[in-house]
Amino acid sequence: MAATPPPPSFSLHSNKPSHSHSLLRLSSNENRTFFSFNSNLRCEIKGFESHRGWTIERVSDMSKDSANSHITNPSSPFLSVSSVTSASQFPTKNAKRVVLFYCPETKVLAEKIAAQTDSIELRNISWGKFPDGFPNIFIPNAQGIRGMHVAFLASFSSPAVIFEQIPVIYALPKLFIASFTLVLPFFPTGTSERMEDEGDIATAFTLARLLSNIPISRGGPTSLVTFDIHALQERFYFGDNILPCFESGIPLLKRRLQDLPDSDNISIAFPDDGAWKRFHKQLQHFPTIVCAKVREGDQRMVRIKEGDPRGRHIVIVDDLVQSGGTLIECQKVLAAHGATKISAYVTHGIFPNKSWARFGHDNGGHPESAFTYFWITDSCPLTVRDVMNRPPFEILSLASSISASLQI
Amino acid sequence: MAMVKSPKKQVNLFYSLDCEDLAQNVALQSPHIVLQNIKWRSFADGFPNIYINNAEELRGQHVAFLASFSSPAHVFEQLSVIYALPRLFVASFTLVLPFFPTGSFERMEEEGDVATAFTLARMLSNIPISRGGPTSLVIYDIHALQERFYFGDEVLPLFETGIPLLKQRLSQLPDADNVVIAFPDDGAWKRFHKLFDNFSLVVCTKVREGDKRIVRLKEGNVSGHHVVIVDDLVQSGGTLIECQKVLAANGAAKVSAYVTHGVFPNQSWERFTHKKDALENAFAYFWITDSCPLTVKAVANTAPFEVLSLAGSIANALQI
Repeated sequence: MAATPPPPSFSLHSNKPSHSHSLLRLSSNENRTFFSFNSNLRCEIKGFESHRGWTIERVSDMSKDSANSHITNPSSPFLSVSSVTSASQFPTKNAKRVVLFYCPETKVLAEKIAAQTDSIELRNISWGKFPDGFPNIFIPNAQGIRGMHVAFLASFSSPAVIFEQIPVIYALPKLFIASFTLVLPFFPTGTSERMEDEGDIATAFTLARLLSNIPISRGGPTSLVTFDIHALQERFYFGDNILPCFESGIPLLKRRLQDLPDSDNISIAFPDDGAWKRFHKQLQHFPTIVCAKVREGDQRMVRIKEGDPRGRHIVIVDDLVQSGGTLIECQKVLAAHGATKISAYVTHGIFPNKSWARFGHDNGGHPESAFTYFWITDSCPLTVRDVMNRPPFEILSLASSISASLQI
Repeated sequence: MAMVKSPKKQVNLFYSLDCEDLAQNVALQSPHIVLQNIKWRSFADGFPNIYINNAEELRGQHVAFLASFSSPAHVFEQLSVIYALPRLFVASFTLVLPFFPTGSFERMEEEGDVATAFTLARMLSNIPISRGGPTSLVIYDIHALQERFYFGDEVLPLFETGIPLLKQRLSQLPDADNVVIAFPDDGAWKRFHKLFDNFSLVVCTKVREGDKRIVRLKEGNVSGHHVVIVDDLVQSGGTLIECQKVLAANGAAKVSAYVTHGVFPNQSWERFTHKKDALENAFAYFWITDSCPLTVKAVANTAPFEVLSLAGSIANALQI
């Protein structure tokens, strides 16, 4: 019992010869208890030769150091915890910076999109032609878009311009960009897209194939933004190498209807079951009327299948209009059944061969012969240019919807 | 022991409207080639409304399509057919595209240049694979040798040339033993010189003097000879005319020209026609093939032009 206290002091004595040596010895003692016991026995002999007071001072210094290290250890996790807290307390998501290219037809819409936000920057493409008619195209400052999010605003208004824009669409993703988005407001299709016979060729499917083969950018596959695609099954035309994002112009219509003086007297009419299937869920807060085409002999007539238009302002809704014959037939039937006003909305005003000219303005009260309003979006730029400032036509711009899509 | 030839396969040949004459010529070459019809219509909005007649009867048959991409507008409608035919349970599908169109400026000199020919090659490389395997693609005298590497492995390119037609025609000339071949530049020499082993060769070159570009005779002798300038295609024809002047100035007795593809945008072939008031017409002959149908229609029976038909060569290619 009495022999126990003396060994520590003796070992401390033995530490005097050198500072580093003493440090090593101490750590060694701490790490290996059994072995240090033996070490202490040896030091006991040396201890008689060393100075006792100095070693005691060393011990107190070391204990202070270890105490300091203990104090500092807890503060590190505290700091990191507080920094995590501050990060979560101030979540600020920055808007994605997007470089938007466009073709000559879509310049006006592109400028409207860029006006929506500071995050979208417009860029030019040099659209030239060789003497043989084939495109001679140059993307200026191609290296400047490396690492950037890039979009292209397309318009396939004819087979010729498809082959002008496809080379750009295939070239942009290869320029080391962060991501590529193709904005195609109107996905064009012929009217007769049913494969009624083997041998029918669905050109919309051909176009979907061309787009499904857009090269994959370093940032991943292309996002494809399109509005109110003509038939729901067309969304399955696209392969897995492209990400279609199907948007709709109907929200723009609903907003516009709220602004009308007779907004509480609006009913929605669908020209056929197809349009009803497409849009009825988005317009379920309005009374609805569904028309149908029926055959009597060799005549095709439009009839009201369900719903009552009497005394109401009727808005006929469809995804697109071509020559407009169906809309005019609907208008006549609805007027004959007591509609007080008739308007129309289509997302895509195609109007080949200037067929928009047949739509007159009712000048405040002749629903049987003309339309009060005819809303279209700016998905078909050629039509927009033609019908600007011509009542009953009014353009609802897709610019804000597209701007929002580019942030996805 | 004599090798037994494999029996000839019957091929159903569809064609674009521009290629109707050439398709009929091809069918005349062999009883094993049967022409088939496509209805080419348009919807009111300008998009194609196309119908392949007798689609079900193509099952198990070898099918080919003769295409002509003479303008961007024609690419999309024919591409719709090209993408549809292989899917009709055909035994094999061959796309015959005699002229693979390209802008004359296909060098990627700067990042940002968009190579149209490469885009077209991508579209063709994505032709759906038929039950009988990938599409065979028959192209004549593609503009630049490196363009053959534009095609992916999903399509089988077969690169043919119209030069044998020229050589056969040259052998029929009264001065056949006095003909030398001239190339307008090194590119054409690289492309074709091996095909003219039995001819004396002449190479021209374009050089700059100040801001002028002048054609000079780089090597070879033309004095007293009938010189035939050979290239794969002609656009406006300026280079050929400059060559002709230089060759004539160096003592050529006659100058003729051959190109496989007579593109001639904007009626530029007119500058080559023999005028009655001219003291001496520049070109004795100007041979083209029928790879560019619009030009063939325009220059038919117009001296110095003469059309050498690819029909026989195409008929042979369809048997591969």
